[in-house]
Amino acid sequence: MLRVRGLTVGYGAEPVLEGLDLEVPAGKFVTLLGPSGSGKTSVLRCVTGLLQPQRGAIELDVGASEIGFLFQDDALLPWRTVRQNVALGLRIRGAARAPAEQAAERWLALLGLEGFGARYPRQLSGGQRKRVAIAQVLALEPKLLLMDEPFASLDAIVRTRITQELLRWVERNNLTVLLVTHDLEEAISASDTVYVLSQGPRAAMRARHDVPISRPRDLLEARRHPAFGSLLRSLWNDLSGEPAAVDSAM
Amino acid sequence: MALLLALWEALARLGVLDPFYAPPPSAVARVLGTLFSDGEIWPHLQATFAAALAGLAAGLVLGILLGFAAALTPLLAELLEPVMILLNAIPRVILAPLFVIWLGIELASKVALALILVAVLVFFAVYGGIKEVDQRLVERVRTLGGGRRVLIREVYVPSVTAWVLGNLKVAVGFAFTGAVVGEFVASSRGLGYLLQFAQSTYNAALTLALIALIMAFVLLLFAAAEQLERRALRWRYA
Repeated sequence: MLRVRGLTVGYGAEPVLEGLDLEVPAGKFVTLLGPSGSGKTSVLRCVTGLLQPQRGAIELDVGASEIGFLFQDDALLPWRTVRQNVALGLRIRGAARAPAEQAAERWLALLGLEGFGARYPRQLSGGQRKRVAIAQVLALEPKLLLMDEPFASLDAIVRTRITQELLRWVERNNLTVLLVTHDLEEAISASDTVYVLSQGPRAAMRARHDVPISRPRDLLEARRHPAFGSLLRSLWNDLSGEPAAVDSAM
Repeated sequence: MALLLALWEALARLGVLDPFYAPPPSAVARVLGTLFSDGEIWPHLQATFAAALAGLAAGLVLGILLGFAAALTPLLAELLEPVMILLNAIPRVILAPLFVIWLGIELASKVALALILVAVLVFFAVYGGIKEVDQRLVERVRTLGGGRRVLIREVYVPSVTAWVLGNLKVAVGFAFTGAVVGEFVASSRGLGYLLQFAQSTYNAALTLALIALIMAFVLLLFAAAEQLERRALRWRYA
C-alpha cells in the first residue's frame, strides 16, 4: 500500500531524517516510533504532500483521496457545528449538504456522539472532539489511515477507550494504518510491525520489530501476551541505547 | 456615575464649580432637551450619522478588499503594507483639512475622513487575520481534499470575519471620530459643526450636551455592534 524509499527530510541544511526505508503492506497496522525530533511527523507530512522531501521516493497504491490523516490536534473548524465538521470532507468532494450531513450523523452515532451534531467544538470535551475528528476522517472511508500521535492529549482511560474503538474499526474494515507515536505500549498493543527511529538530526531506521500478537486485539489483554514484555524491553533498548533499568514492571 | 453627577450638580449649585466652565448636569440636560424639542438637532444628527455610517461602510469594504488582496498577493502586500503602516502611525485626523481642500466642506470630506480611519484599522485586522490563521486548520482542510477556493471559504473568510467583527466596535468609534472631526474642521452642519459653534461662543453647556449626545449614540452603536458580533460569532459564545 505504501512504500518509502531513501526518504530524507529536513527544514534546513542538515536533514532531520535521512535515508528512511519503510513499507506498510495493505491491511497492516504499522507504527513508526521514535524520540522527539526524529522526523516521524515529517514522514506522514511527506506522504500527504504537506511537505516535500529533500530526497527519496514515496510510492502509494492509493490515490490522495483515499488517504485519511488524523492529526495530533483536533483541528476542527471552530465556526462549524460538529455535524458540519464531520460532513466537511464529503462536501469538499462534491456531496450535497443534506446527504453529507445525514452521513455525518450516522458516523457520530457510531462513535457515541448521537445528538451532538448541533453543538460547536468548544462545547465538547477533549475526548469528544477527538471522536469528531475521527468521524471526520472515517466518513471519507479512507483505505490508508495516517495517524500522528492522535491521542497524545487525552487522559489514559479516554485514550485507551478511543484507541480500542478505532482499532476495532480498523480490523473490521481491514484498513491500512501508519501510526506515529512515542508511546511504546501503544505501539506494541496496536501494531503488526514497529519501526524505530534514532534521535535526530540525521535520524535513521534503528530497528524493526514484528508483533506476534494475533488479531482481533484487545489493548489491555495484549499487555499480558508473553511477547509484550520482551518487545517492550527491545523497544526501550532501541530508543535509549541502554538496557531497561527496571525489569519488574514488565 | 449617578453619584458623580449628583456631586457635580451639588458643587455647581454651591458655587464651588464655576457654571461658566462646568455648568451643572441639569443645565446640560435642559440644553439637550431644547435641542430636541425645537427640532434644531435633527439635521445635524442626520449629517453626522450619514457621514459616519457611509464612512464606516466604505471603510469596511475597502479595508477588507485591500487586506485580502495584500494577504493573498505578496506583490500587493509589498506595495500596500508600508503605506498602511505609515497611515497607521500618524494621527489620521490631521488629513481632515486636506480632504476639505480636495472635496469641499460638505458630506464627501467627512465620509473620506471616516473612511480612511476605518479602512486602515480593518486592513490590519484582515491582513493580520489571514496571516495569523491557524495553519492546523489550513492543513486539515488540505488533507480533506480542499483547494484554494475551499480554504478561502472554510478557513480564511470565517477566521477573518471573527477578526473584523471583533474590531467593529473600534471601527464604529473611528467612523464617528472621522465624521465629527471633519465637521469640526469645516462644515455647515453636523454635531462637529455644532461643537465648533459651541466652542466659538464659549457655550460650555452646549459643548457638554453635544459630547453627551455623541457618547450616547456611539455607545448605542457599540451595543448594536456587540449584538451583531454575538450573533455572527455564536460559535464563540456557545
